[in-house]
Amino acid sequence: MTRGGQVGRTALWVYFVLFIVFLFAPLVALLVFSVNDSPIPTLPMSGVTTKWFQQAFDNGALTGALVRSALLGVIASILATALAIMASIGLSGGRLRMRTLAVSVLMLPLVVPYISLAVGLLILMQAIGVNTSLTAVVLGHTVIALPFAILVILPRLRSLDPLLGESARDLGASEWGAFRLVTLPLLAPSLVSSFLICFTTSFDEFAIASFLAPAGTPTYPVFLYSSSRTPALLPEVIAVGTLVIALSLLLVAAAEGGRRWGERRLVGRTAAAVAVTGGVVKPDTFTDAAQSQPTQERAGG
Amino acid sequence: MASGEVSLVRLSKSFGSSVAVDGIDLQIPGGEFFSLLGPSGCGKTTTLRMIAGFEEPTSGEVRLDGDDMAGTPASRRNVHTVFQSYALFPHLTVFNNVAFGLRRQKVAREDVRRRVDEALALVELVGFARRKPAQLSGGEQQRVALARALVLRPAVLLLDEPLGALDAKLRRQLQVELKQLQEQVGITFVYVTHDQEEALTMSDRIAVMNCGRVEQVGRPREVYEEPSTAFVADFLGVSNLMDATVTKRSSAGSGASVLLGEGVQVEARAGDTHVTGPVRVVIRPERVGLEDPSGAGSANRVPGMVQRTVYLGAGTQVSVLLATGHKVTALVQNAADVDPGWTTGRPVSCHLPPAALRVLATTPPPAPGAETGSGG
Repeated sequence: MTRGGQVGRTALWVYFVLFIVFLFAPLVALLVFSVNDSPIPTLPMSGVTTKWFQQAFDNGALTGALVRSALLGVIASILATALAIMASIGLSGGRLRMRTLAVSVLMLPLVVPYISLAVGLLILMQAIGVNTSLTAVVLGHTVIALPFAILVILPRLRSLDPLLGESARDLGASEWGAFRLVTLPLLAPSLVSSFLICFTTSFDEFAIASFLAPAGTPTYPVFLYSSSRTPALLPEVIAVGTLVIALSLLLVAAAEGGRRWGERRLVGRTAAAVAVTGGVVKPDTFTDAAQSQPTQERAGG
Repeated sequence: MASGEVSLVRLSKSFGSSVAVDGIDLQIPGGEFFSLLGPSGCGKTTTLRMIAGFEEPTSGEVRLDGDDMAGTPASRRNVHTVFQSYALFPHLTVFNNVAFGLRRQKVAREDVRRRVDEALALVELVGFARRKPAQLSGGEQQRVALARALVLRPAVLLLDEPLGALDAKLRRQLQVELKQLQEQVGITFVYVTHDQEEALTMSDRIAVMNCGRVEQVGRPREVYEEPSTAFVADFLGVSNLMDATVTKRSSAGSGASVLLGEGVQVEARAGDTHVTGPVRVVIRPERVGLEDPSGAGSANRVPGMVQRTVYLGAGTQVSVLLATGHKVTALVQNAADVDPGWTTGRPVSCHLPPAALRVLATTPPPAPGAETGSGG
């Protein structure tokens, strides 16, 4: 390799390492200070303890916010995924012009700042005479999660052999039967991905939750923000934060493992290996690229 | 039990402004192996899909055993389809794939098991029940698709180029097996293909389609040896289509006198020998005789020169440029111990036997929409 090439490679590695450090250093810091035996997160460490975890679990407001966020996340995921399935089915049929328009509208939440959406929703709620409520938060979260769900489910749906549904109907299944017995099981890996992405989006979301959650029942991010004014709570918050990160990592690992297992069951080892490295939205997702290839040859995301 | 008779009455299908199927009439009696043969885009698959119920006709009727199928969805017709890509459910085992239709019909468990085992035995896939489609070869997948359809005992089985995805040797083997299967089961097969050899090998009757219309319907021998239009002649193999003029129509005892060009007159006894004027003549390559040029000029023998030979194994294809300017392909069997030695550049006399020389009437340059050719 040339000298210039060597310098380039070294520079790239340095950049990569710095990047990883920048990304993960805050998380490592959290981990360190969650077991630090001191109410103030400073170095050097004064000892290792697990008392902050204990205190966190005794803090009703904290655990309440956590559970609330998890629950809202689950509900918003289910709603967004279900709506995304319906939207994807609609977008797979349809004429080109209608489809482009529909897609643009459905993708809007990706470009609208959540704070604008939050304010708008608040005004809407008050116009109807409803005040802040967790239902409003769930609806808001469903709206912002929907584009992600569609981006995950639609490519997978379009990669399915359209003759499979016809075959099911040819053999006597109703439209719903064909969907339930053929389409849905084949969509399963993408549904798992959709749940994950929607849950994360909802769980992390701050703007809409802060505007629309009633005062005494904050979501976890909102609680975190308000508790930053209370220094005494800080170590507990750090402890819970560490737990949430650990749980997230576990969840992602489990979901990915489950997805790969599901793909293998469906299409066999080689095709699954190809499929797993996909998952990227293809440029032809929203156009009329030819779709009629047998499932074995096609590896959907 | 339903006999599986299919009737298509003035059946048409248009997609927007493009006409895919243009008013076809077909009668397929129960138990027949019937093929729809034609090039891509001729409307054969669209016709099949209308019989299945996946497409609604723009006009005309599809009748099964006398009943008009309008308004009956595909899931309720006693007709099942085998697709070219097999469309097996990848997440189900072979057993569950075959059992799928039976379960939709709420058949009892023991009966499901019994019938699935029977169907798998019929297509010689005993022991494959636990496998998934991805673990099967192309030929095995096709058999599962067949079993899945046949287990429901349909009156008619529709097959959309089912052998298209297989290699040549496997295809030939499965052609024979499919034909035997159809004879064994006794139901009507409607088979779509663009491969004329396949259609000739397997069918009881063939409908040759072009541009949404049926050009000829008949037994394989009829359609091959007595084509009624130039398209049918050309599609079913090498046709040696030649422009010529009938100078004297046929009379009792002799065929039509045909002027091939430049003072070369031949007699043609087959086809539209009652018309005069510009026509086209066809002759199958295996009927063309190659002889020593010393005989040129006598009855139906045209002088020419060998342009190319292609060795085919069982025979040799010899391309000859006739003195009239026409190009003719002859097929000579490699049956003799002595190689006749038709080499490039060698002069030859082409014998076109009158009984094999077929006249196809053509109309003068047609106005758009006029029909060409005449009934077979």
